[in-house]
Amino acid sequence: MLQNRRAVVGQPTPLIDGIEKVTGTAKYTADLPIADALIGRILRSPVSHARILRIDTAAARALPGVRAVVTGEDCAQTYGVLPIAMNEYPLARERVRYRGEPLAAVAAVDAETAAAALALIRCEFEILPAYETAAAALAPDAIPLHPDKPGNIERAVHHRFGDVDAGFAQADLVREHVYRCAEVAHAQMERNAALVEYDPARDSLTIWSTTQVPYYVHLMLARCLEMEASRIRVVKPFVGGGFGARVETLNFEIIAALLARAAGGKVFLPLSREESFLTHRGRPETEIRLKLGMTRAGRLTACACEVVQRGGAYAGYGIVTILYAGALLQGLYQLPAVAYDGLRVYTNTPPCGAMRGHGSVDVRFAFEALLDRMARELGLDPFAVRRANLLTAPCETLNGLRVESYGLGECLDRVEEASGWRQRRGRLGHGRGLGMACSHYVSGAAKPIHWTGEPHAVVHLRLDFDGGVTLLTGAADIGQGSSTVMAEIAAEMLGIRLDRVRVVAADSALTPKDNGSYSSRVTFMVGNATIDAARALLARLTAAAAERLGVPETAVQCENETFFAAGNDGPGLAFAEVVRAALAREGGAITVKGTFTCPVAFQGGKHKGGAVGATMGFSYAAQVVEVAVDDETGLVTVENVWVAQDCGFAINPLAVEGQIQGAVLMGMGQALGEETRYEKGLAVHTSFLDYRVPTIGESPPISVHIVESVDPNGPFGAKEASEGALASFPPALVNAIADALGLEIDTLPVTPDRVLDALARRRRAQRLAQALEEAL
Amino acid sequence: MEVLPRFEVVRPSTVAAAIAAHQGGQASRFVAGGTDLMVNLRHGLGTPERLIDLRHIPALCTIATENGGMTIGAAVTLAEILAHPEIRHRYPALATAAGAVGAPAHREAATIGGNLCLDTRCVFYNRSAWAREANGFCLKHRGETCHVAPTGQRCHAAFSGDLAPALLVYGATIEIAGEASLRRVPLSDLYAEDGAAHLRLAPNELLTRIYLPPDPWPALYAKARARGAIDFPLAGVAVALRAEAGEVVGLRAALTGTNPRPFLLAGVEALHGERLDESWLDRLGKLVQKQVSPMRTTLLAAQYRRRVASALARRLAAALGGMTAEGGAAA
Repeated sequence: MLQNRRAVVGQPTPLIDGIEKVTGTAKYTADLPIADALIGRILRSPVSHARILRIDTAAARALPGVRAVVTGEDCAQTYGVLPIAMNEYPLARERVRYRGEPLAAVAAVDAETAAAALALIRCEFEILPAYETAAAALAPDAIPLHPDKPGNIERAVHHRFGDVDAGFAQADLVREHVYRCAEVAHAQMERNAALVEYDPARDSLTIWSTTQVPYYVHLMLARCLEMEASRIRVVKPFVGGGFGARVETLNFEIIAALLARAAGGKVFLPLSREESFLTHRGRPETEIRLKLGMTRAGRLTACACEVVQRGGAYAGYGIVTILYAGALLQGLYQLPAVAYDGLRVYTNTPPCGAMRGHGSVDVRFAFEALLDRMARELGLDPFAVRRANLLTAPCETLNGLRVESYGLGECLDRVEEASGWRQRRGRLGHGRGLGMACSHYVSGAAKPIHWTGEPHAVVHLRLDFDGGVTLLTGAADIGQGSSTVMAEIAAEMLGIRLDRVRVVAADSALTPKDNGSYSSRVTFMVGNATIDAARALLARLTAAAAERLGVPETAVQCENETFFAAGNDGPGLAFAEVVRAALAREGGAITVKGTFTCPVAFQGGKHKGGAVGATMGFSYAAQVVEVAVDDETGLVTVENVWVAQDCGFAINPLAVEGQIQGAVLMGMGQALGEETRYEKGLAVHTSFLDYRVPTIGESPPISVHIVESVDPNGPFGAKEASEGALASFPPALVNAIADALGLEIDTLPVTPDRVLDALARRRRAQRLAQALEEAL
Repeated sequence: MEVLPRFEVVRPSTVAAAIAAHQGGQASRFVAGGTDLMVNLRHGLGTPERLIDLRHIPALCTIATENGGMTIGAAVTLAEILAHPEIRHRYPALATAAGAVGAPAHREAATIGGNLCLDTRCVFYNRSAWAREANGFCLKHRGETCHVAPTGQRCHAAFSGDLAPALLVYGATIEIAGEASLRRVPLSDLYAEDGAAHLRLAPNELLTRIYLPPDPWPALYAKARARGAIDFPLAGVAVALRAEAGEVVGLRAALTGTNPRPFLLAGVEALHGERLDESWLDRLGKLVQKQVSPMRTTLLAAQYRRRVASALARRLAAALGGMTAEGGAAA
């Protein structure tokens, strides 16, 4: 029913806040009025691992113009995104665990004074051994970073589903291989910043911050400042990208609040690009040992996967990341047996966290690369191998993931056709190749981190005399376009023009709490809550219209802002008339609420950690990447990308296309150039020169194909549209290089030096083989 | 955000006034586009009290044809060079090099003089003040140790301007104005093989003009970089080559990005008077491999920079010798 009415949804629609962005009038945190604010600055640890013997701030406090100095002494509460693993202080206490960890902070009348004050702070350390790699931290003689985690293992996961040994025994081909992925960062365009206004008379505080989840900021400020939550207001201004970096409350947000309270006023704390990199929460350096069993026909018989993640110095999201890495082995293909062993390791590097495709990307790279290797060995076409393992929806995977809609087969058909795979593959000439891969991602984690008993999403709609519909949501639009999606859904449901809907988002004083913009949950969950709210409002309007029209409510229809009785040719009632009638009938302005809750049946398997990976709807993607590899310079050029994604239903096809292109480019960045680098624990990648995000200069044509499987539970059938396509890029690229040069690459990113090294290794191996042959 | 030091900006309209405005030492700095200097100042690399803006000196902002050659003022922007029909036609390697710098917005501001006088770069130097201090600073600035080669006493920071190799193979000379002097020297005389002191220029001396001699040899420039824009060269190579009847009668090659200075490849005479074929290219490639000395100053491996410099030199020479259809394709 809903899918057939498409006056607004399904139409390519520019973002409702697009004009502000392209004209430069959008106010991001750093654009807010700060003329009367103190400037905050953070002193960061110069050492990787040490006991803090002394932090002497006396000289800094004495400097004229300094209004506040805070250290670990000022906050004895830990914070963290997972209630079971909060082991980080906003300012280090007793021990410091990575180079760049905040030690102290100052607020001063200007940036110059703040910088001068930092230079006056004296720290004394007792240096401890530091571990930059997972292997070093796991060594038997390594001291634990956290006393309660011996061996530096944050979490070990051991999951077994089905009979793995039997699966491998049934296989015609079993292959095992090790893949390595460098740590990557979100490189969100807008640097971290927070503005905090503290009112000493009322002991209340307002924060404007670059956050994806204002609700978490609210919780952590209340906890760390030991303030009642009702005295805190969290506002999210325009945000220039999140990609997972800003799901967790970050240390600078708490530090800014501590400074504002200590100074008794307003503090602006902007971080440099380097500091934004040091705050991190990126995708961890990961080693994957993957073993697959396959029949001659390409059917998978078993999968065994070992994953080691270098998690960094604190827990953050780590437990969830290592669980995702195992859980999302499943849900894409038919897998009869799966063994997963994951290890999340503490190291003296900045803490990792959630990043677009959370937990799934590196494992998917290994999986799809190994699938292709085995297909080559068996003489099978890469598409045929994927098709041999498709799921049939609805179904439930071995680890309890429910698949209700599944458009992967159509995604495969679309990119195979569009790329000219059958005609062009193998005929592109020297150094050119085509590769493909698939991926998937959740449309919101079915079980929220904070179990409160409340719905998973709440939306308010407000209607007053002006006839404007105000949609109030806590969901944070961070550039992904969630406010536009909600406006479209409300307009569609109410039969009104899009510009009649005004979205007020992410201000805790006005908007209902939302669990936030992460795991691609907003379209699915908040979208469904918006439908629920719009139905409630429509019921009120319908009742008023029925009264005016003198017909039963069931006979009232609404289209194009006109209410009329079914089968009646009369002019009907204009929207404004119905609003007047409804307000009179209801006693003034109307506010309705809509909610959404994921049923327990979707909340995952019963095994420990089984909730991670569970969702109401998986998106599916397939992509073909065409490369040209220069075997003298090692440079890989991406010539073309064809990508198809099953997003259920495209509520806004224009935004969906943009999100998919963004995911592809982000996958391309990880595949070709992005990697963090540490020299004795000191980050050396911390600029956009050394952290090589692709520029528009090497952005390829990306042909996007939207597949609509119409999910039974998604709003209008919609699922997520901005994470699923990322994970298939890196393996498709590596598979394309294999096609171009017959060169197997097993490490990301595929930088030119790595390509030349791989070519040199192959030449040496060939020479050796030839020499052996001649010797025999 | 890192704070800029407090400085005044003066805007002289003549070269003499610019030099007179200089207080000597590091207290004054000349600035034109500022694309390198301002980033370094934010990193605490220098605390000048006065910046002398050269963009308002008409004599430094013109491109002229003189005596069959060309003269380019030091404050001419890279975008102007890239757009100049005569430069594109007669000195294409220079135009290619100008177009290979940064991104369009950088090229609108950056100047030829600034590119030639660019500070050397190193992953341990082009960092925030915090990161350098956490590392105990480095030999190039305030420190005792070179983190690239801790046992040595030399700075290995690499020169990373794109324009120098093209100008070197065209045989460019430069004019340097001082307090009471005006000298004209070959461009190669501007540079020394020392990452911490790579410019043979007194603090109050000013590079004013670049002279391109008439009758340029056919030449090309190629730049190795990981991305299509923004990046400094991992290695940059210019080759000028004259061939008659398949025989090389003249060869010059110059490199950037691999050493503390851009330099003309030595020993190319040995390749004169021979047929340009695969073995000739191998010898050129080996010559390059021998003379470049990339160190661990970039995040991409030094050995890669050596190999790619050699590969690009071969590729450019082959193109100029007519062995391949196109050669300018930058990596």
